[in-house]
Amino acid sequence: MSDDYEIPPDVVYITYIKTTPQRVWDALTRGEETQRYFFGFRIESEWRVGARWAFYGDEGVHDEGEVLECDPPRRLKLSWIAVGIEDARNLPPAFITYDIEPAGEAVKLTMTEHQPKPIPRKYIEGGKQGWAMILSSLKTLLETGQALDISMEPPQ
Amino acid sequence: MTTRSANNERPRAVHVAFIRASAEQVWNALTSEQLSPHYFFGRRLESDWKKGSRWTAYLPDNAGVDTIGEVIESDAPRRLEVTWHVQWLEEARKLGPALVTYEIEPAGEGIVKLRITEEMSPETPQKFRDGGREGWAAILSSLKSMLETGQALSIRMGPPK
Repeated sequence: MSDDYEIPPDVVYITYIKTTPQRVWDALTRGEETQRYFFGFRIESEWRVGARWAFYGDEGVHDEGEVLECDPPRRLKLSWIAVGIEDARNLPPAFITYDIEPAGEAVKLTMTEHQPKPIPRKYIEGGKQGWAMILSSLKTLLETGQALDISMEPPQ
Repeated sequence: MTTRSANNERPRAVHVAFIRASAEQVWNALTSEQLSPHYFFGRRLESDWKKGSRWTAYLPDNAGVDTIGEVIESDAPRRLEVTWHVQWLEEARKLGPALVTYEIEPAGEGIVKLRITEEMSPETPQKFRDGGREGWAAILSSLKSMLETGQALSIRMGPPK
């Protein structure tokens, strides 16, 4: 195995949002919402365990995987392959878990990205920046009605 | 986001948020005596934020000092680097100071990226690393809400267990 590969530590991003768990759930699982904060991608799935899910962009499917846990509006766990990125397509799937908990007048959203196998180092830093962009924009969308128009490129 | 590091290295945690605000507004919120209690669990900050100056965070209701430190670098509105020595928890006080760096950079029309990097002392126990992650997430979320909506979040949180 090359030195350029490693098992990354879990990426955990926590954000508190002034909204309801149901609104967070809807924002994560409805295509017309995800396209406003998730690099323009529209999510689609039947949202039951075992179903396929996919993110559609202008050039077709960008990410896809399987619904592993689905407990609205509390917990959603997905396997995740970035099929739209040519050299990420053949990487082992990551596992993404969203946990949604009430926290007083706000909701705590915890995103955990777990990668069970070694992957090239270059994807690790880029992934962190991507989640901060996405979840910052999601929070702003739910609190102000308007997502952020961040002009930094998503990780390549 | 916390990265595990080799035994002799200082554990490092990075917290990033994108905020619809100007760099000056973010800088002002980070250093303001009036604004900090709204997003920083009631803590009031005090300093002239000049290089070499001391800074202090006071607990709510005049209950004493939360944290003290020194301003290592101050380049408004881009970069602020401070030592961070928690006083209100005895166990944290014994650990010695952490180093906290705030970096503010443009990220589009009317949007900035705020990056907070925390370098802890090598023997920092896991509960403080986890607690720090939770605490910074709450502070950063509340600061962002305050700047974008005019109203901070009221999040209750106890010391790490």
